[in-house]
Amino acid sequence: MIRVVALRKAAVAGLCGAAAMEAFWFVTGKLGLPTIDLVAQLSAVQFHRWPLLGDAAGLLAHFSIGICWAMFYAFFFWGRFHLRPVLQGLIFSIAPAMLAILVVYPELALMRSQSPMVVLDLHRFFAPITPATVASLLLSHALFGVIVGLMYRRPVGYAVGNRPAPPHLRRPGRSHGKRNANATGFMFATGIECSYPTIEHGRWRRDEMDSTRHYEFWQEDFRLAREIGITHIRYGPPLHLIFQGPGRYDWDYIDPQMAELEEFGPEPIIDLCHFGVPAWLGNLQNPDIGRALEEYAGAFAERFPWVRFYTPVNEMYVCARMSALDGLWNEQLRDEGAYARAAWNLANASIRMSDAILKQRQDAVFINSESSEFYQPCCPDPEIQKIAQAANERRFLPLDLIFAHALSPHMHDLLCAQGISNEDIARLQHRTVPRRSILGVDYYEWNERLIDRQGHAVALGELFGWYVIADQYWRRYKRPMMHTETNKMDADGAARWLWRQWHNVQLLAKSGVPLVGFTWYSLTDQIDWSIAMGESVGIVYPVGLFDLNRESRIVGLAYKHLIDMFRDQPDYRECRALKEIMQ
Amino acid sequence: MIRGFLDAHGYDPGPSQRPYSSGAISGILATVPAIGVLVAFGSLRIEAAILGLSSAATLGLGWAAMAIAGAAYARFWGRAANSVRSGWIFGMSFGFALWAAGAVLVLPLLSGGRAPAGNAAAGVVLSLIVWGAAVGILVPFVHRPLHESLERAAKNEDVGPSAAVEKTAPPRAQAQPARKS
Repeated sequence: MIRVVALRKAAVAGLCGAAAMEAFWFVTGKLGLPTIDLVAQLSAVQFHRWPLLGDAAGLLAHFSIGICWAMFYAFFFWGRFHLRPVLQGLIFSIAPAMLAILVVYPELALMRSQSPMVVLDLHRFFAPITPATVASLLLSHALFGVIVGLMYRRPVGYAVGNRPAPPHLRRPGRSHGKRNANATGFMFATGIECSYPTIEHGRWRRDEMDSTRHYEFWQEDFRLAREIGITHIRYGPPLHLIFQGPGRYDWDYIDPQMAELEEFGPEPIIDLCHFGVPAWLGNLQNPDIGRALEEYAGAFAERFPWVRFYTPVNEMYVCARMSALDGLWNEQLRDEGAYARAAWNLANASIRMSDAILKQRQDAVFINSESSEFYQPCCPDPEIQKIAQAANERRFLPLDLIFAHALSPHMHDLLCAQGISNEDIARLQHRTVPRRSILGVDYYEWNERLIDRQGHAVALGELFGWYVIADQYWRRYKRPMMHTETNKMDADGAARWLWRQWHNVQLLAKSGVPLVGFTWYSLTDQIDWSIAMGESVGIVYPVGLFDLNRESRIVGLAYKHLIDMFRDQPDYRECRALKEIMQ
Repeated sequence: MIRGFLDAHGYDPGPSQRPYSSGAISGILATVPAIGVLVAFGSLRIEAAILGLSSAATLGLGWAAMAIAGAAYARFWGRAANSVRSGWIFGMSFGFALWAAGAVLVLPLLSGGRAPAGNAAAGVVLSLIVWGAAVGILVPFVHRPLHESLERAAKNEDVGPSAAVEKTAPPRAQAQPARKS
């Protein structure tokens, strides 16, 4: 898969583009300007005795060709250049125009010949091409390109307020196996990418489950996960589609999948809030999201009492940073104070959600996954040191809040400046963290960053590695840990990355850190993560165990090899750290 | 340049995939409807005359050429060729390219400038577009039974622990420092 394409949108754009060309030729013909009539020429090939039928066939052929070119544009050209859509369409139109001038138009003249065979030379072949024909073809194709460029935009996601079709109903008898065959075995996990932030200042919803067609292929996706040997799957029901308002839920978006997971597995780690909130809640600056998500978590746990593993809010730091500091998602702000407010709201929501779940299921296990980040100052310049220190304090803020760790003075003051009282902060600091809380540490090759001489954070690659960075988190929070996300934006090098991450996990476990699981994220390729989902382009991000046709990637085979090799080893068949948590 | 546009990251088929065989089989199967079009438009007879072959020999040659073209299609389009949803458009564009490059340019070159015209020329373009659409639709389905199973492919040592090792060997001088005598 090259791009995720909105086929219907491309077809309509192609149809309109072809219609615009027809209109152009009609008008220029009526004005007496030298022009061509492609439909007349197409129809004359076969239907010169029946003009009306010929015109209809000619129109049909031209519209079909327009649709095909628009599809071609959508698959191969759209989003290649960072230009305005109209310019992208205009540049693209050079290709069909050249083909029309050099091949199609001269061939049409040949097709109207009464003779079944001709002897060609270049002069005879290009005889129908005159300057007026060239000008007409160039201008009409430019018009086609402009129309297609203007109409084919935002191929993935949907306008906020719209809803994709719900997942298909469960097809019986397609699965076998049993969920949770070994409850205390090491967790070999993957996830279904499920991010749903808004962009364009709340007007456009990204929905990765929709873009990757999980709503269509969900049963196949779970089957593939089981086939690889996955024991646990990080799974995020679409909060923005399910939670319609206080006390109002549309469970059609999750009931079939949960029934399948309950029966056959893999064991789900339910991710209740993944980078976005329903439109009626606004954005992460809304102080009411804690109360609302508490209600949602309670309702979810009540409906699915068999679910034991939860991630109340996924990657709170990343969500707050991308929304309130980097200006990409949701509120799209670039403000340190707004970051603190978003982090506070998310942490507060996470705590309230955990409490609501515990009311339904006292032995619930919480896997609080967070992106492990590290900022290294490039030089002894005090200003650079200060920027790096602030960035390092910022990354810990949400976890400090949910794990009742002392805040740095700077972060404490930042929260107070947002109107959050000392009493509220103290309430979180003195709370008893649920015993079955696991710290999930995600790691990607850009998580280690250098603060350069200009004070900008630039990716360092794998400098210290997951072992060192995760160890920082272990020493700070002293919680059982899990490697909850990793992948590599290099389909061929991903197997190498997988094994190297795995060796990091083994080394940290050997050093005495209680580790319960490892995750390759995600099961399928993702969409637009190379641009942090900041725009709706539809670029395939090939990090999945399977591509979007559900064909295995090399890393999928490598992960199966790894699981087959380790799952029956004594330390993994029964994971002591997980056993202690589950008791 | 075209390859650059097609070469989306992660686009190459994986070790468990069989693009050449699935493409060749699909190419042969897709020739059946294309022959129907060629016969209906009288194009087959004209092409045979241009090539100086009998209709049967032209068909045999065509089948062989389309098997190669099918294999080329599946390899060139990589993982995209496995798409049930989009294969038809990829195949049609490939069929159109074959027509523009092959029937329009190569055939007259091979035959001293003789080319189909009239209905026969229309039949040639239509048959190649039909062939392309058919091959694009067929490849994902033909590919499935040919695909190596996950179970078997995952046993390959290349995806095992040795995958962790850096593939690019260090320069010899660095790898084996000269021993002091």
